Amino acid sequence: MNRAALLVGAAFGFLVTAARLSDYQVIHDMLRLREPDVFLLMASAIAVAAPFLVILERRRWRTPFGGQLKVQRQPIARRNVLGAAVFGSGWAIAGTCPVPAIAMVAGGSGLGLAVTAGLFGGIALRDAIDRKAGRAPSTTC
Amino acid sequence: MDLLPDRLAWYIAGPLMGLCVVALYALANKPLGATTAYSETISFFRRRPFEAWRVWLFAGFIVGALIASILRDGFSPNLDYGKLGTEVPLGLLIPILIGAGLVMGFGARWSGGCTSGHGLRGCSSLSPASLAATGTFMATAVAVTAVLHVATGGSL
Repeated sequence: MNRAALLVGAAFGFLVTAARLSDYQVIHDMLRLREPDVFLLMASAIAVAAPFLVILERRRWRTPFGGQLKVQRQPIARRNVLGAAVFGSGWAIAGTCPVPAIAMVAGGSGLGLAVTAGLFGGIALRDAIDRKAGRAPSTTC
Repeated sequence: MDLLPDRLAWYIAGPLMGLCVVALYALANKPLGATTAYSETISFFRRRPFEAWRVWLFAGFIVGALIASILRDGFSPNLDYGKLGTEVPLGLLIPILIGAGLVMGFGARWSGGCTSGHGLRGCSSLSPASLAATGTFMATAVAVTAVLHVATGGSL
């Protein structure tokens, strides 16, 4: 399972850099609604993945490393929306998000390191709050 | 080395990223997502209980991005940051980016995912939580970007 995760992670990280999603200007232009490419990229990823997942689930696919496939679906909770609004604000300022920030660093960006350090700090802070309150951490995905 | 095009087209990269989501489910029954991978990597370094596969996923992101960088321009240390880098002095830009990262990380963990986990994996699964989160962070990011554009007199 670990090897599968490493390989899929590597493919994903490769594609993020190859498609220049780790480029501030690409994400900024997307969020300024100046170019549709990243929206189209996300839409095409979903359009390809969604039917595959439905078919695999209907066929009761037995995965080689993790038993029978179970696709996670969660009802909407308040934290999904509130957290997403906070996330979106940071995304707009930094023009990057968690995987592209790693990809920035992997490409040699010193300022990507600043974003990544912040990401680690913010995630650790939220985890610490959840732990202190005795809540289960948010693991929607 | 210039073995990669300057920018891989969306209609190639997008479907392949969708297949990454499918592959992790089909092989390991696991949801692809970066936020929890960060969180579990923190747990790994702090010697708390952690899910190993998520740390391997995180390592994979680094390895894959590094390979793509080497195949395109080569690994080149730099302090570039697009227009933001030219508009904001470095001494101010570093704390802004750390702060933006903090806000992003906090929000993503609170929400239960980010652009990969909610945006790609969750929307592909038609998970109501992910559809709501994705709609919210997209709308917020577009609105905040528009505000930044106006507040900086159109320079951003």
